Amino acid sequence: MVEFLQFLVPGILIGGVYALLASGLGLIFGVMRVVNFAQADFMMLAMYLSWALFAGGVGLDPFLAVPAVFVVFLLLGMAVHWLFIRFVIGRRENHDAQVILTIGLGLIFQNLILIRYSSEPRVVAPSYANEGDFIGDIFISRVRLYAFLLSVLVAALLFLFLNRSRTGRAIRAASENWEAATYMGIDIDRTNRIAFGVGVALTAVGGSALVTFQSITPFVGFRFVVVMFAAVVLGGLGSVSGAFVGGVLIGIIQSVSQVWTSAAVKNVWVFALFLLILYVRPNGLFGKVQRAI
Amino acid sequence: MRRLIPFVVLIAVVAVLNGWLDQRFYVRVLTLSVVWALAGVAWNLMAKAGQISLGHSAFVGMGAYGFTILLRGGGTSPWVGMAIGMGVAAAVALAIGLPTFRLRGFYFTLATISFPLIMELLVSHYGDPELTVPFHPESEWKFMEFSNSHTYVWVGLGMLVIALAISELIDVTSFGFALRAIRDNEVLARAVGIRTVAWKSAAFMISAALSAAMAVLWVKAVLRVTVAEEVFGITVVIVMLSVAFVGGVGQTWGPVVGAAFLIPLAMFLDDSIGESVPGAQELVYAAALVLVALLIPRGILPAIEKGCRQLATRPRPSLEQAGPSLFGRLAAPPPRPSPLLRMPRRPVRSRLPQPSDTPVLEVDGVAKSFGANRVLSDVAFSVDAGRRVGIIGPNGAGKTTLFNIMTAHLRADAGRILFKGIQMDRMRAPRRYELGMSRTFQVPQGFHLMSPLDNVVVAAIGASMPDPVAASMTMLERVGLAGKALGELSALTTAEIKSLELARAMVSEPDLLLLDEPLAGLNEAERARFFETVDELVAPHTAIVVIEHSVRSLIQYVESVVALDEGLVIAQGRPEDVVSDARVIEAYLGSRWMEHARDQ
Repeated sequence: MVEFLQFLVPGILIGGVYALLASGLGLIFGVMRVVNFAQADFMMLAMYLSWALFAGGVGLDPFLAVPAVFVVFLLLGMAVHWLFIRFVIGRRENHDAQVILTIGLGLIFQNLILIRYSSEPRVVAPSYANEGDFIGDIFISRVRLYAFLLSVLVAALLFLFLNRSRTGRAIRAASENWEAATYMGIDIDRTNRIAFGVGVALTAVGGSALVTFQSITPFVGFRFVVVMFAAVVLGGLGSVSGAFVGGVLIGIIQSVSQVWTSAAVKNVWVFALFLLILYVRPNGLFGKVQRAI
Repeated sequence: MRRLIPFVVLIAVVAVLNGWLDQRFYVRVLTLSVVWALAGVAWNLMAKAGQISLGHSAFVGMGAYGFTILLRGGGTSPWVGMAIGMGVAAAVALAIGLPTFRLRGFYFTLATISFPLIMELLVSHYGDPELTVPFHPESEWKFMEFSNSHTYVWVGLGMLVIALAISELIDVTSFGFALRAIRDNEVLARAVGIRTVAWKSAAFMISAALSAAMAVLWVKAVLRVTVAEEVFGITVVIVMLSVAFVGGVGQTWGPVVGAAFLIPLAMFLDDSIGESVPGAQELVYAAALVLVALLIPRGILPAIEKGCRQLATRPRPSLEQAGPSLFGRLAAPPPRPSPLLRMPRRPVRSRLPQPSDTPVLEVDGVAKSFGANRVLSDVAFSVDAGRRVGIIGPNGAGKTTLFNIMTAHLRADAGRILFKGIQMDRMRAPRRYELGMSRTFQVPQGFHLMSPLDNVVVAAIGASMPDPVAASMTMLERVGLAGKALGELSALTTAEIKSLELARAMVSEPDLLLLDEPLAGLNEAERARFFETVDELVAPHTAIVVIEHSVRSLIQYVESVVALDEGLVIAQGRPEDVVSDARVIEAYLGSRWMEHARDQ
């Protein structure tokens, strides 16, 4: 039982970060029906930004750098939408173009970083990186706890933004019914641009939450791609709150699987669960049933 | 004949280069171009059906590991290992594909991502992350151990030609038509008898087998050692995607063009600046993907073809004046199924006999809800052979839902549909069409990437007509669309689209024809003409069910009417009785206006 809890608690903590990573992907899919395969590479870029701010002379603590990361990636996301994504949105024939465009963008990010910073793993180790507290027999790492609390805080802010602000409501309207939203006078291009920026920024913040216990390479995103997809599909494609629940569940499964199998294959469980959900409940655990025609 | 020309060109170009190049690096570039063209052709088979796979490295990895393990274990020839690997890959493809092929949209793409990841993790952890391929100099051909590196190019060229021939063969048979129809409009494809799951599975299995074959050549000729990270890696998929999309997604010759362009470019860049710029190769693929997505989403070949066709055909082509100009010859005509190559499927008429004492259609106690919204409750009526029945009711009465249940686009919550006395509940849409049930759509549906003729040909193939092209052309002549048969779908007027829908529904010579609001969008003259055309086309025994809002036109045509309101049958019988029924008038006008109606 104690062994189980020793895996469960870190699972919940990392799951919170997965939830934040996945909520950005879920938001973007929900609003503009684009599966953004570059999402995890925005996370990678954010990790490098946090590392640069920490190690590059400024010495900024990665958790304190979060507002800066958010703003930078909000703008970067909006720019990428304006430069690329907006041209492939909409019609069904564009599905292929969306897939290859976002895969291509992700590859460009990875290789530009590779050229600039090489493939050497980078670490961000603030003074409290190895500290932690025992609650009973269970060790709780301080940085993971902070990462979890940060994710919960950002989730709460996202909830307020989507439900209370004008723009947030426009985003929700667009994600519910794109066409009806345009009839209500919502500028869909602007809404998409903001949603893409916010979606990218959410995942970026998730990336900065990770840097204190995850080493950084240009290809680190790839390991998180399927984790993010799994969380989003588990919660129902297009549902931001679903993506949150999905993220926490994925974190738990990934961590608890180590009770039975080696840590090296913990992601096999995640991938297998992802497939199971796709096959059995493609609309997610809480998804709505769609009409055929 | 013209289909052979690209083969001749390909073989000639590769032969000249293979004879002429002697530096090791150049031979390597040539070998890898051939290897990745082969991989791209394999991947592209799935793309013919509009399915983007991000998991093909699973099959490449299986092919590579399969033959290496067999060679290490029992000295099995790589050729035998290749054959076994292809079989295993095809079987795994079937297992991967079946659960996802019932879903549309992104699900297939998402599902494919995780398979190579799972395999790589399992192989690396429980197996060997790296296997050297043992050296067997005793027999060059048996062990694919060629001392002359040019021989690998010949072997690769042979495999590429075989793969291209398979792809061409698919294009010209009903197989290719089915795949193009699925890519274009899957719902419609199912409604005209295309068994989407079976065709997609077949394409996926062939595609997987060819990928496994490519892996053996790749490892033997270039890698020389099987590394899990490499053969199961995402880079394999990236290169497949790049060569296919750059050349032309879903196009047989696309990956050859893409590989000829991208692979040398990436390798020369890597060779010249790879030392200082480690990601140069990947940047080539990435830039290619982004540029293609933004500029020519269907690739180079279709872009060239489109350009040629525009230059060749001004004004729009008609059947008579298909004069071959230079551009006309460059622009490949849309592929026709050749009668020789048609895939034999079930016997041409797997139709049920019509028992004389049973109605063609019996709807019995059908109910359907969407969540809490009850759309149909206990709907029952029947239609005899050769009869015409109208269904009327205000918007939201459940008319189209009823059609969708009859044709298996939706599943009823309760009740039975009997067609010629046979219960149809478990039969899917393509089977019902094959048995003789045909429909048109409220919102006209079409295969927009195909000509009007091909739109009908797909339906003829779905019904296993002996000569689909001839049957379709005859049908187009009868609805008056022969002159536009080879044009573009977007050039048709509303009335012509309605005629095309009718031709498509009638080409299978159905026993039951379901027309969903056929008169919507037509003017007075076209309306009058429409039902005349229907009568000219149908066989005497064909039963017709029409949903129509234009009650006046409808009651002149049908022999009985079923009136629906809020999912309930409120009246049925002779048209004049139904339209004067108090409940029907109330349903249309609301109770407030009932008094006025009665006064008149």
